[in-house]
Amino acid sequence: MYQRLILGLTFIMGLGVMSATATAQEGHPLKGSWIGEWSGNSAHGDFVLLVMDWNGEEVTGMINPGTDNMEIESVDLDPSDWSVEIKAGGYTIDAVIENLELPSRSLSGTWRSSNGSGDFDIVRQ
Amino acid sequence: MRNNRIQLTLRMIVAVLGLSAFSTAWSHHPIQGKFDPDQETSLSGIVTKVDWRSPHVHVFLNVADGNSIVNWAIELENPYILLANGWDENSLQPGDAINVSGMVARNGSRQVWGEDVVLADTGRQVYTVSDSSPEKPLAKRPVPRWPEDNRPVLGAAPGGAGGIWSYPTETALVEDGVDVGMNEYGLLDNIEDADKVAPMQDWALARYIHRQERNLRDDPMYLDCKPPGGPRQYQSDLGLQLIEDKKNNRIFVLLGSGNRNYRIIHLDGRDQVGLVTGDDDNPLFYGRSTAQWDGDTLVVETTGFNEGFWFTNGGLPHTNMLSMEERFTRTDFDTMHYEVTIDDPGAYTRPWTASWDLSWVGGAELPFSLCQHNRQ
Repeated sequence: MYQRLILGLTFIMGLGVMSATATAQEGHPLKGSWIGEWSGNSAHGDFVLLVMDWNGEEVTGMINPGTDNMEIESVDLDPSDWSVEIKAGGYTIDAVIENLELPSRSLSGTWRSSNGSGDFDIVRQ
Repeated sequence: MRNNRIQLTLRMIVAVLGLSAFSTAWSHHPIQGKFDPDQETSLSGIVTKVDWRSPHVHVFLNVADGNSIVNWAIELENPYILLANGWDENSLQPGDAINVSGMVARNGSRQVWGEDVVLADTGRQVYTVSDSSPEKPLAKRPVPRWPEDNRPVLGAAPGGAGGIWSYPTETALVEDGVDVGMNEYGLLDNIEDADKVAPMQDWALARYIHRQERNLRDDPMYLDCKPPGGPRQYQSDLGLQLIEDKKNNRIFVLLGSGNRNYRIIHLDGRDQVGLVTGDDDNPLFYGRSTAQWDGDTLVVETTGFNEGFWFTNGGLPHTNMLSMEERFTRTDFDTMHYEVTIDDPGAYTRPWTASWDLSWVGGAELPFSLCQHNRQ
């Protein structure tokens, strides 16, 4: 219990440090590396990493590159409210970009798949 | 000998006139992010301190509030700008009674942007700043030319007094032919006009509106000293110099704003490649520029931009797919016509063009202004 608390606090502090040093990115708001949690994900663990790029027509990318890779199949961004739907590897993520003006902006919402669902929170690095 | 003296005296007069004219060119950072134009107030009180430092000078003021005294901070221009307009830290003294009016801070703190500061006993206005451009000669002076190739001189004429280019006729990027109201910082009078400014993709338009609605307070040039890359360097308030290195076929663009950065435009026929590992791996704030002459117009192609800055006042977005074609034409001695075509398929639906003129300020030098000074 105590160990998990320490681990959790360390992760949160790490996210804080990383977000404070996020590279300025004034282009497409989804472009970049994102780290965070899809909580309660028994299949792939709580921690998640996304890398997204923008080619002028679509957002492409990968979930957990290098480990349990899942190529992102589609990303739908609605700029009117900055809501995003990401589909990859049987997962659907519905989230909203928060703190758009910051390099360390976040994507917060939910994930769902045939194995379950939960909260989704990632921060751009 | 006498002729030399007369010539020297004339040059000095031109230089002094140029400097005094340039001194009025400076204007302040966007301030609507901090102060609310819809909330103005007037204060009368006694000066307690003048804090003369970058980025903005502050005058502290004791103001009677019922039976008590409260202290207000009156924020003014940058010291460079105030000095250039003839003011210094002794223009007001502790104990002076003044009347102040201006915008109130958005966060509710006791801060006012000092639009009007007046000595109560004499009615004399202090810490005023003028934005008027220098007078141009009634008769247009011919374009100076290099004797060796008859090309137009883009900077100071050989043997002539130095100078800088300043006073852009447009201070924010807007597609040619579009008529929208905006202030000197590129803040739109009417946000409904946002989609007219340039042919933006949906996400870019939404991001532009977001920046506008936040009154440009997130501008990384002011927040983090990011360079004014792209066409923004020709719309800055501190001017620029074009130094032609004919021997090495290159032109240095020296910038008064940002961090006194420079940019090199190569005319030696080199390929458009990166310096170390290529543009993709090493994108830059000013990109990489090659150029050639088209008659009397210098045509500059630039690619290899990063996405860490705003490439225009007002906050139009760009991506690392941005390439620019810039055309510099010195139409007479005192005028440089600048035209830029923006081709960024990452943020815009088609290439588009904007243009404006810059004025020659003879005798002026770039101010020694470093953005880092503003962070001390």
